[in-house]
Amino acid sequence: MFLVPVFFGITLLVFSIERLAGDPVQLYTALNPHINEAQRQLLRQSLHLDQPIHIQYLSWLSDLLSLNLGFSYSGGSVAVLISQRLWATLELQLIGLTLSLIIAIPIGILSARKRYSVLDVTITSSSLVGTSIPIFFLGVAAILIFGYNLHWFPSGGFQSSDPSRYLYHNLLLDQAWHLFLPATVYTFAILAPVVLLVRSSMLEVLRQDYILAGRASGLSERSVMYKHGLRNALIPIVTYVGLYFGGLLAGAPVTETVFNWPGVGKLFVDYTTQLDFPVIQAVVVIITLMTLVANLVTDVTYAYIDPRIRLE
Amino acid sequence: MTSDRKMAQTTLEQRPAGGHRVSQWALAWRRLKKNKVAIAGLGIVGIFIVMAAFDRLVALYPPKCILGVSPACQLDGRLHSNSPPGLAYPLGTDITGYDVYSEIVYGTRAAFLIGVGATGLTMLIAVVIGLAAGYFGGWMDNLLMRLTEVFLVIPFFLLLLVFLQVTIKLAPANTGSIWLVVFVIGAFSWPGAARIIRGEVLRVREFEFIAASRQIGASSYRILFRHLFPNVLHIIIVLATLQIAASILTEAAVSFLGFGAPGSNTWGQQMYNSANYVEQAWWGTLFPAVFVTLMVMGFNLLGNGLRDALDPRLRE
Repeated sequence: MFLVPVFFGITLLVFSIERLAGDPVQLYTALNPHINEAQRQLLRQSLHLDQPIHIQYLSWLSDLLSLNLGFSYSGGSVAVLISQRLWATLELQLIGLTLSLIIAIPIGILSARKRYSVLDVTITSSSLVGTSIPIFFLGVAAILIFGYNLHWFPSGGFQSSDPSRYLYHNLLLDQAWHLFLPATVYTFAILAPVVLLVRSSMLEVLRQDYILAGRASGLSERSVMYKHGLRNALIPIVTYVGLYFGGLLAGAPVTETVFNWPGVGKLFVDYTTQLDFPVIQAVVVIITLMTLVANLVTDVTYAYIDPRIRLE
Repeated sequence: MTSDRKMAQTTLEQRPAGGHRVSQWALAWRRLKKNKVAIAGLGIVGIFIVMAAFDRLVALYPPKCILGVSPACQLDGRLHSNSPPGLAYPLGTDITGYDVYSEIVYGTRAAFLIGVGATGLTMLIAVVIGLAAGYFGGWMDNLLMRLTEVFLVIPFFLLLLVFLQVTIKLAPANTGSIWLVVFVIGAFSWPGAARIIRGEVLRVREFEFIAASRQIGASSYRILFRHLFPNVLHIIIVLATLQIAASILTEAAVSFLGFGAPGSNTWGQQMYNSANYVEQAWWGTLFPAVFVTLMVMGFNLLGNGLRDALDPRLRE
C-alpha cells in the first residue's frame, strides 16, 4: 500500500521540475514572435498559472487522474502522440525481451549444470563482457555493417516511407525487414544479464536436497532441470522481468534514436530537447504507473510460483 | 614483566599453526590474483590510468589540434577532415580535423572524472542511508526505505535528460562543465546500493560482537563507524567499482543523445559530434564507443572479481 505515497511523491517531483524550468508560457510561446502580452496573460489564465502553486499542482494532478493529458506545446493531444508511438515501442521491446529469455534461459541452465567446466567459464566470461557492451556501440556497428555496407537491412525507421519501395510490395514484410536489425541488436544487448542471473539462480537451487532426491529417485535429467530446478529458480528471473516491464515504455531511448525507431523513447528524446513539458510529464507519469503495476503483478506471480509465499 | 611475557606467549599460541598473521586484504588479494578474468579487468583499468596520467605522451598531437591547420600539427598543410585511418592518424580524423586517437586519449581523464566523481556522490548517499536505515531501524528505516523506493521507481534515465536540458536552457553559460552531468548521475544512482548496504547492515547488526560492544557502553557513533562500517566495506567496494562502470556508460549514452555538456571532451560527446557523419566517416563514432566499452568492461570484470574475492562467507 506504499504505492500511493510513492506515486504522489513522483508526481510532485515531475511537477516541480517543470516549474524549476521557468515560465511555461515563455516555453509555450517561444516559437511565436507575434504574440503580445495580453495574449500571454490569457494563456496564463487558461493554464491556471495565475493561481497559487499548490492549486496548480492539484489541478494538474486531477487532470492527470481523469486521464486528461493535455496538449503539447507544439500542438497536438499528448494522449494521441503517445498512443501513436506506443505500438512501435511495445513491438520492439516485447520481441527483444521474449527472444532474450528464450535464448538466455537454456544457456544459463547449461552453464550452471556444467559448473567450472570450460563451457561454463566461456559462457560466464562472455556474458560479463556482454553486459559491458553499450547498445549504441552494437547498434551503430550493426547499421554500418548490415545497413550501409552490405545493404541487407535498412539503416533505420519503422517502414519504408514510399509504398512503392515496400519489400516485395508488402507492408508487413517491409515492417519485419525494418524490425530485424533493431530487434536483433536489442535482444543481444539485454541477453547477457539474464544469462548470469539464470546461472546464479540455478546454482543456488541445484545445491538443494530435493534436487538430489529427484535424481536419486531416477527422474530424467530434463525433468530435474526444468520441472524442479527451473521452477524454483524462477523468482529472481520474474523480479528481473517485472522490473523490466515497468521500464518498458521508457523504451530504450538510445536504441530508438540509433535506429530512428518511432517509439515512445524517441518521442521523449525529441520533446525533451524542446522542453515540451506536457509530453515529458505524461511519459514519466505513465512509466511510473506501469512500474508500480508491474511490481504488484510481480508480487502476485511470486505467490503463484512459490507456494511458501502464498502461505505466509 | 612476567605477565607481559605470559601474554605474549598466549597470543603466540593462539595464532594459527604454521603461519604469520595475514590481513584480510592480503587474503582477498590472493584470491583475486587467482581469478584471471578479474586480473584482465584490473589490467584494462591500469592501462587506462596510465593513459589518463600521461595523456600528452600517449597522444600523437596536442589537444584540439586541427590536422593541417593548427601550427602544432601542420602535416602537409592541407585540412584532414573525416580522413580514414592512416599512418599519420591511426584511427582517422573527425569532421573538424581532430585526430580521433588523440582526442580519445584526452577523453580518458574525463571518463575517470565522471566515473569516480558520480560514484563518490552515489556511494556517499547510499552509505549514509544504508547505515542509518539498517542500524536505527523503526520509523527511520521505514521512511528512508520508502524514499529509496521512490527513487527506484522513477525512470532515472529520462529524468536525467530532462534535468540536463532544463539546465542548458536556464544557464547556458555553465553547460560546458561536465560536473553537472556528474552531479545529476550521482544524485540519482544511489537507491540500489543503499538497499544492498542496508541488507548487509541488518545481517552484521545481529552478530554478537555488536551486542557485546553495546553492553560495554559503546556509543551509536562508535558502533556505526568502528564496527558496522568496516564490516560492510567489502560490499561498498564492489558496488563502487560496478557503479563507476555504470556512470561512465550513462554519461556516454546521455552525451550521445545530445544532452551532454557541449564543451566537454568526453567519449560520448565525441560520438555525438561525429554521429551525423557516421556513413562517410564511421571511425569518428565507432572508436570512442569501443573505448567506452573497454573501460566499462575493465571495471565490470574487476568488480565481479572483487565480489568473489572480498565475500567474507567465502573466506577460507
